[in-house]
Amino acid sequence: MKKRLLLTVLAGLLALPLLIGQAHAQIRIGLMAPLTGSWASEGQAMKQIVDLLAEELNNAGGVLGQKVEIVAEDDAGDPRTAALAAQRLSTRGIVAVIGTYGSSITEASQNIYDENKIVQVATGSTAIRLSEKGLRYFFRTSPRDDEQGLVAATTLKDMGFGKVAILHDNTTYAKGLADEAQALLKDSDVEIVFFDALTPGERDYSAILSQLRARAPEVVLFTGYFPEAGLLLRQKKGMGWDVPFIGGDATNNPDLVSIAGKEAAESFMFLSPPVPQDLDSPEATSFMAAYRAKYNDDPASVWAVLAGDAFNVIVAAIKGSGSTEPDKIAEYLRTGLTDFEGLTGTIAFDDKGDRVGELYRVYKVDGEGRFILQP
Amino acid sequence: MQLFLEQLTNGLAVGGIYALIALGYTMVYGVLKLINFAHGDLFTIGAFLGLTLLLSLGLTDHIGPVAGIIVLALMVMGLVAVIGALLERTAYRPLRTSPRLSAVVSALGASIFFQNAIMLIYGARFRVYPHDLLPTTSISLFGVDIPVMRIVLFAASLVMMAGLYYFVQRTKTGTAIRAAAIDQGAAKLMGIDVNRVIMYVFLIGPALGGAAGMMVGLYYGQINFTMGWVYGLKAFTAAILGGIGNIPGAMLGGLLLGVIEAMGATYISLAWKDAISFMVLILILIFRPTGILGERVADKV
Repeated sequence: MKKRLLLTVLAGLLALPLLIGQAHAQIRIGLMAPLTGSWASEGQAMKQIVDLLAEELNNAGGVLGQKVEIVAEDDAGDPRTAALAAQRLSTRGIVAVIGTYGSSITEASQNIYDENKIVQVATGSTAIRLSEKGLRYFFRTSPRDDEQGLVAATTLKDMGFGKVAILHDNTTYAKGLADEAQALLKDSDVEIVFFDALTPGERDYSAILSQLRARAPEVVLFTGYFPEAGLLLRQKKGMGWDVPFIGGDATNNPDLVSIAGKEAAESFMFLSPPVPQDLDSPEATSFMAAYRAKYNDDPASVWAVLAGDAFNVIVAAIKGSGSTEPDKIAEYLRTGLTDFEGLTGTIAFDDKGDRVGELYRVYKVDGEGRFILQP
Repeated sequence: MQLFLEQLTNGLAVGGIYALIALGYTMVYGVLKLINFAHGDLFTIGAFLGLTLLLSLGLTDHIGPVAGIIVLALMVMGLVAVIGALLERTAYRPLRTSPRLSAVVSALGASIFFQNAIMLIYGARFRVYPHDLLPTTSISLFGVDIPVMRIVLFAASLVMMAGLYYFVQRTKTGTAIRAAAIDQGAAKLMGIDVNRVIMYVFLIGPALGGAAGMMVGLYYGQINFTMGWVYGLKAFTAAILGGIGNIPGAMLGGLLLGVIEAMGATYISLAWKDAISFMVLILILIFRPTGILGERVADKV
């Protein structure tokens, strides 16, 4: 009796690979995201969105007559874990991978995917060097830091500011953006009266604000993240200093307003890719409706939505090239995909795999603490 | 000149907070020769408990903001003191006769435990104190606008420090603490209950640290589970700067560190602010290895 049970179990175990092999007939798309760690909220939102889009696609019949399966792997927002995640995903028969959020995390996985001939579409990694390496299978739906720097510089010039202070926080992203903006502003007649970094994670920035005020800038460009931006706004108001602040896309987070308070946050401006709430394309509206129906909330972060766009372009490339061959998918993304209507606007890629077109918009915080898209 | 005065007040305000936290490090070191690495997290706990009590009890609505905040501060200090005493009981007392390293490892473990516990209970996102609790008026002194609340907070930290100094210097328990700091064995022979003394130290230090956490939450608004790390490191530096184990030294070290930071940021470089503070620390340790006021709980009156 016992023997028979054992045999059944063994037979079951032997049949398992066959069953998995069956599932293999589906098209597998990988998702590498920070599901734990300090960026966990971003990663979990990425997974929610990609899951939703895959479910919609499968209900509509899938692509090339096959269903799509999402294989998610956690990179914990850490380069070493990301390298492991990339190794693991590479062995699981995926045709393409979505992800990931941080630039240094993406960098740790790039070569692994490239060697394994897997198309990678990054979603939140904005560092310039990622696409300057000439990797054939690398794409990203997020913009690059130099584009943001350009938009920052043009916005400051267009608004007619003559004396600009630039403050960053010494992280790769913030320093890079500050350098880009500074270089672009130097060529014009804008005077940069201040360029330095604060230490993130502290609570009191009044010493920095005092020093900034002594230089009498007409506007302050802060390229760091939202927690520090919120404190700066709050303490600036506390000292009764009335100077406009402009932030980079890392300040696009509703927590900015709760930290600064509505009064202090009012009329703060920042640059960011548009959130789908602000787009009226049919793709964006139907996505928003589906997201609300499933998760009973609006997607908080634009970076998670860019993961949805990564999924959409991969599917479009499989459909368009009629194949799951990595070379054909990459080729189609580079040349065949034009004016694709994504969730965050029109998508096309240039030769390096960077997204083409102007993605950045200017947002302004109103008296109620809402982020209002500026015309 | 105006910038100098402004930075001086900025530095003193931050320094007052550093000093309050530094007292906890220095008292524990004075008596046990142990660096309580979990002290920064007790500061964080103070900030979070303050927020929880503030929101759940609504004291400021019932008895007015001033009385409400004072009651709240007393409750936070009491609760954090209890947590501090429990920490001593569970993490340090069993290891008191073990090699020094075991207690240090235990302290680091306690720190990680507290940090994760706070994250699991309150979440990893930033939490925010209500905004309209404190008045935002400022007064003008020598052409410098100073927010009234900053003066109040600075005064509050001075009062707490003065109270502690009086307690240690003038009361019987304070004398016992000083005696145990000089020589635990001899103190025991003189009939002092050393375990009790150590418990007092672990009640007072965390209470002050918890109060500092709540003050930071009230004044700056934003708190999160990792905030104890930066403040703990700075306060620890301040304690060494003044002479670890030395109570007036911790106060002086805290205020000095705040001012050095503000001045370094203004006249040298913003990005190098922390490096400058630590450079000053290194210089002082080279030329005066026991810190500015020397390494001992003050045993002279």
